[in-house]
Amino acid sequence: MALINVANREIQCKIVYYGTGFCGKTTNLHYIYGHAPARAHGAMRSIATENERTLFFDFLPIDLGTVHGFRVQFALYTVPGQVLYERTRVAVLNGVDGVVFVADSSPEKLEENFQNLIELETNMRRMGKDLGSFPFVMQWNKRDLPNAVPVATLDRYLNRRHVPAFPACATTGEGVFATLRAICKAVMAVL
Amino acid sequence: MSGESDMEQLTNLVVAEGELTNIARTLGRLALDTNAGHTLLLDKSGQLISAQGSGPQRDLIALGALLAGAFSSSRQVAEILGERDFRAIYQQGAYESIYTLMIGEQWLLVVVFDKQTHVGLVKVLARKASEELERILQRVRQGSAQAREQVVSVQFRDSVSNTIDLLFQD
Ligand SMILES: Nc1nc2c(ncn2[C@@H]2O[C@H](COP(=O)(O)OP(=O)(O)OP(=O)(O)O)[C@@H](O)[C@H]2O)c(=O)[nH]1
Ligand SMILES: [Mg+2]
Repeated sequence: MALINVANREIQCKIVYYGTGFCGKTTNLHYIYGHAPARAHGAMRSIATENERTLFFDFLPIDLGTVHGFRVQFALYTVPGQVLYERTRVAVLNGVDGVVFVADSSPEKLEENFQNLIELETNMRRMGKDLGSFPFVMQWNKRDLPNAVPVATLDRYLNRRHVPAFPACATTGEGVFATLRAICKAVMAVL
Repeated sequence: MSGESDMEQLTNLVVAEGELTNIARTLGRLALDTNAGHTLLLDKSGQLISAQGSGPQRDLIALGALLAGAFSSSRQVAEILGERDFRAIYQQGAYESIYTLMIGEQWLLVVVFDKQTHVGLVKVLARKASEELERILQRVRQGSAQAREQVVSVQFRDSVSNTIDLLFQD
């Protein structure tokens, strides 16, 4: 739920990166943290296991500065993608204003992507939100893999709603900002 | 949870000047009466609506995000245990403790207090403050749509879009 604080002249929105374990959500946030202008972000917090898998969430506050007298901020979160953490994903989704679904392009992950997307839809519906009319974009990550599933195939199986989708390689940063721009704008469009 | 989905119809919350003062006053009094370092009002997504108290300088934005996450997570635990009316968590520390109480389905009241203060007092006074805050927040919800019109114009959206393009370039 976006918060428009007229008294403090602040606007705050929450964006969640969703997707299967290992698909590259945390890598997206790391890239943003490392490459966005320093004034545009705060410290990144990660609650992770010893081997860097997200246990609860990553959190990165983004600050657009002052626009027409209002300070506009986006809080970026990632969910833990491993199957085990389903309930944790529900907790992180709470009060979300926009969702990025990060799909892993490796062929052995196609079915897992699909199941994860269905889970996302279910969780959103439980919160009274319909992904069809909600700020929502997709990212086809790991395009650099030699055996990556063709974009057209991902589009056909995972993007039935025809929402904006961005090919990406989060490790090099390709497509990361394009995805971020799209979701931020989608959230602003319905504010 | 059908009650929750009614609440979710609201896509954003607009807090106007006067009501923020009321919120701050309630939080300020609670901080004073419990001798708390910080009293916070968060929305359940972890966003900070207001913070009071004279405790040490802290990263309250991160604190808000983590506390809302912890609450939300505990709530999932309660649901698995079949607990019906889960509304509060108490984190006890050696020096400072945190009491988090849900207001309505949408907000969290947080009190960060030290070992001088008894948790029983915090619970009672937080409950009282939460009733007051709930009334204020009801009014905020009702006034939201109207106040929003004043802030979010086409030009405003355009300017935000331009800023996004400017900041997040490859
Ligand atoms: N080849 C390739 N590897 C990537 C890409 N993006 C991320 N990775 C790698 O994939 C692994 C997992 O990335 P994370 O960002 O930690 O994945 P995650 O989605 O946060 O995973 P969970 O926290 O378990 O949900 C890491 O070793 C990354 O370096 C990419 O575009 N291409
Ligand atoms: Mg991760």
